[in-house]
Amino acid sequence: MDTVNNSENNSLKYESLKRNFNLFKQSKIGVLGLVIVAFFGLLALLQPFLFLTNIWDEATYHPVVGYDSQKIQATVVSCKDIDYPTPEYKTPNDCPGPEEVNIVAVAPYNPGIQEGDVIEQFIQPAPPSSKHILGTDSLGRDVFSQLMEGSQVAFVLGLLSAIVGVGISTLLGTIAAYFGGAIDAYLMRQSDLVLMLPTLPLLFIISAFAELQVWHLALVLGIFGGLGGSVITIKSQALQVKVKPFVDSARITGGSRMKILISHILPNVAPLALLYMVFSVTGAIASESILSFLGLLNIDMSWGLMISVAQADGYINQGMEYWWLVLPAGLAVTLLAGGFYLVGRGLDDVFNPRLRKR
Amino acid sequence: MLRYIVNRFIQMVVVFFLFLIISYLLFDAIPGNAFQNLLLNPSLPPYAYEETIALYGLDQPLSVRLQKYIVNFFKGDLGYSYIQFPKTAIELIAERLPRTLMLFSVVNILAFYTGFFVGKILAWRRGSKSETWITITSVFSYTVFYPWFALLMLWFFGLRMGWVPIGKFLTPSKWYDSPFDSDVVFLEMIKYMVIFSVLYFVITLLTKEIESLNLRRNIRLGSFFALLFISNFYWNTGQLSEMRFYAGDIAYHTILPVLTVTIVAFAGTALLTRTTMMEVLKDDYILTARAKGLSQKRIRDRHAARTALLPVVTSFIFTIVTIIDGSVLTETIFSWPGMGQLILESVLREDIPVAMASFSFIGVFALIAHFLADVSYAFLDPRIRIKSQG
Amino acid sequence: MSDIILDVQNLSMHYETLEGNVLAVKDVTFNVKSGESFGLVGESGCGKTSVAMTLLQLQPENSVISEGSIKLDGKELIGLSENELRKVRWDSISIVFQGAMNAWNPVIKIGEQIREALREHYPENSKQTNIDKINQLFKMVGLDESTANRFPHELSGGMKQRAVIALALSCDPKIIIADEPTTALDVVIQDQILNEIKKVQELLGLSLIYISHDIAVIAEMTDKIAVMYAGSIVEIGPTSEVFNSPKHSYTKALLDSTPSIKGEKKKLKSLDGEPPSLINKIEGCSFAPRCPNRNISCKPERDMKLIEVGHDHFVDSCSLGENYE
Repeated sequence: MDTVNNSENNSLKYESLKRNFNLFKQSKIGVLGLVIVAFFGLLALLQPFLFLTNIWDEATYHPVVGYDSQKIQATVVSCKDIDYPTPEYKTPNDCPGPEEVNIVAVAPYNPGIQEGDVIEQFIQPAPPSSKHILGTDSLGRDVFSQLMEGSQVAFVLGLLSAIVGVGISTLLGTIAAYFGGAIDAYLMRQSDLVLMLPTLPLLFIISAFAELQVWHLALVLGIFGGLGGSVITIKSQALQVKVKPFVDSARITGGSRMKILISHILPNVAPLALLYMVFSVTGAIASESILSFLGLLNIDMSWGLMISVAQADGYINQGMEYWWLVLPAGLAVTLLAGGFYLVGRGLDDVFNPRLRKR
Repeated sequence: MLRYIVNRFIQMVVVFFLFLIISYLLFDAIPGNAFQNLLLNPSLPPYAYEETIALYGLDQPLSVRLQKYIVNFFKGDLGYSYIQFPKTAIELIAERLPRTLMLFSVVNILAFYTGFFVGKILAWRRGSKSETWITITSVFSYTVFYPWFALLMLWFFGLRMGWVPIGKFLTPSKWYDSPFDSDVVFLEMIKYMVIFSVLYFVITLLTKEIESLNLRRNIRLGSFFALLFISNFYWNTGQLSEMRFYAGDIAYHTILPVLTVTIVAFAGTALLTRTTMMEVLKDDYILTARAKGLSQKRIRDRHAARTALLPVVTSFIFTIVTIIDGSVLTETIFSWPGMGQLILESVLREDIPVAMASFSFIGVFALIAHFLADVSYAFLDPRIRIKSQG
Repeated sequence: MSDIILDVQNLSMHYETLEGNVLAVKDVTFNVKSGESFGLVGESGCGKTSVAMTLLQLQPENSVISEGSIKLDGKELIGLSENELRKVRWDSISIVFQGAMNAWNPVIKIGEQIREALREHYPENSKQTNIDKINQLFKMVGLDESTANRFPHELSGGMKQRAVIALALSCDPKIIIADEPTTALDVVIQDQILNEIKKVQELLGLSLIYISHDIAVIAEMTDKIAVMYAGSIVEIGPTSEVFNSPKHSYTKALLDSTPSIKGEKKKLKSLDGEPPSLINKIEGCSFAPRCPNRNISCKPERDMKLIEVGHDHFVDSCSLGENYE
């Protein structure tokens, strides 16, 4: 009997899921966001797959300890301290140009070398090639592999912190709404306080004095996110559900408080909580990247770290000349955070009746 | 109204104490008694060591330490910096805080106004092509990875184009033979800006009662330019005429940080304004306004935008802390010597008194900004205004 | 008394929706003379409000006026630009909306919201002139002068509705549309508001278009009445005549479903079924499926067309009560 009920229930759930997805598809920006998120999800899963199937060998492609040297044929030129522009170069910075090498730099290792000779040169960072789709960084590591690793970090951290955060705020929000009184007042003041904490300086302090791992950060972000403003929003949603007739009828028919809370109020708050979850992933990804960018996170590889390295080595100041070190990581953070945000907006547009078109 | 403000104020004071306690406990909880770090610092003379121990009551139980910290905070005495020894933590903050305040207020005002304006246009042009593009741009600048974006801005405008200086607060070479301290000049600038805004605000209030809309707008615009004209004379008087050159240098350095933060900070307001405006536009009183024969612009600005402003302001209050976070990063990237840079430096170099003091100050600053925004919100929403009267 | 102030000819309008076109107004023709009060009655969703919105050219963006003309004081409204329309709105024709609760912007004072309209149409007025005008209007509708300095949420429903009437009168329009102005009010207030409207109308010699689903109220308020069904006018004529000798089966059904205080006691009859969906074009007689005694009175095969049955009294030919030829 129970199993029959369950399967019926499941098919019903499946139906409603399908219907909701069809609704969601109406929102173009939501679908765009979903595509972006799925793309990065694929990237994150692809890397272990490539390693396990030995398509990529770890010594070359490992994001942290891999190494590969790219060789190019470079012409030896001499850059003198003369007045620029010269016929070949506009400014001193342009010499040596691509596929050229300054004689001063190679002469000590290659006795008897002359201007105009062609020699084999190792280059790091190497520009994109068929072997390294996004080139290598200053230590000869594959940028594409780093990007995939960063994607894994972002997903784990974003989702973990969002789940923790939403779990806490849903629980506290419904409790505040259902029990009211002193508990409610206390929880609301607590949210006010947490809202006013300057998050970033706080994270600076925590991370500087305690070695922060990724999952520590996820927990910290989750807890702060969960205690803050979302409790207030979820509480007001729960309050609206609480006065609905079906809650009254459940009470009259003798449902216990716990049962009403779990089987009636929670499911009705869940959509809003889900929305919050999606939005909070955006924030979590940004926080992680900022901390690892500032070098405050104990982590081997992440998007923030990639940018931090590129900045420390001065490649960002050279702009688009080393674009493969500058653009991919920054765009990845932006796009994935934006992707989650767009999914949230799409959900909001479709399921929030006040925004629906007609 | 008054009751509402008093209520809010009391709440703020309570939260303020809680915050002080939390920030002390946070530092106290750092493993390995962080204050012992000062033992390892050879640049600190013994008397400074003794004084710090006594000041913080480091040899006493937690409750006493906590009490001492709060009392010291109000006395403005938080001991020496471990790293820049003869200076005290408060001296450092007094030097840095105005710079952060200035950057923060300018950026906030700019970001809010542009955001609100753009959001208004977006909602009004719903479904048009320009709306799609502006929305995509706004989402991009809302979710862009801030440090990366700031570095690219720095590269493009500072290095590639050379239009603006690359970071820093001033150009040191210009200040070698300067008769003024940079802080004195900077305070003069803040004073000028405050006077300017107060005067303009007074003019806005005075012209509120003028019945003809065109006249009202023209008077306001005219007085704005008149104020600019008068400022010209203001900066020509006495000492100020000599300071002008140096003030200009500082102003020149603020352009890029202000631009960058504004681009990132406006988007949140713009996107939210769009959503709320779209809800408001469905309300019946918009139809009434149209039936009354009001112009499109007036319906948009006076009826739709004015009502949509309320939730936008609420959420803006909540994001103030985020913007403070943003200016912390900005200061780090643009080497703007403000509170944000101070806190990051002191944390990285384990300069505990300074880190603690600057964290507490940033918190208090956030709290005050929050309170002010709250009060101005009450002014905007007549429903709150009335409720608190009766 | 005889000059026509509003002349609506063959007005048809539909909404374009995802499900198809909704024909909300079909071939509607009527006119309103100066000083006359005209009633528009019908079930919910029969197109009354659509007609009202079209008169002000305030219909939603997805609506299309396929044909017809609206002449206000001899001036054609359809096809005017937004700026030209703005001059007409409120100045010549104003409206009291359904549900006054939401007609006021919650964050602007009542006085300011009225003054705004005055400023738009009489830019040369001084502030004091406008304030005097508002005070005079408030006195007329029975409100205190201090109301001007209040916010909408400080007023009761009835006060808001009175203020809405003051607002509608502010620019001395020639004609006022009252679109179910009393729906959200309790019965006592309803009566007061109705009296107020009537008093003001007579005092200022305005024309009034009164829109309601409540045929009893219409009877009390108007000189002339049009009964709408599924977007078309099915019967139109002087109020007394329509009430005393209704010709159309739908009008009869409407009258039968309303209790009368005077007159004989009778059992109230309800009309079965629902109005037809307006999405699909209805061929022939739209009322036929609901007609109580289909066999004698309804001619479903006949097209809808108004024929004259008495002085100024027209009835749709397809559902005549008797075998009228």
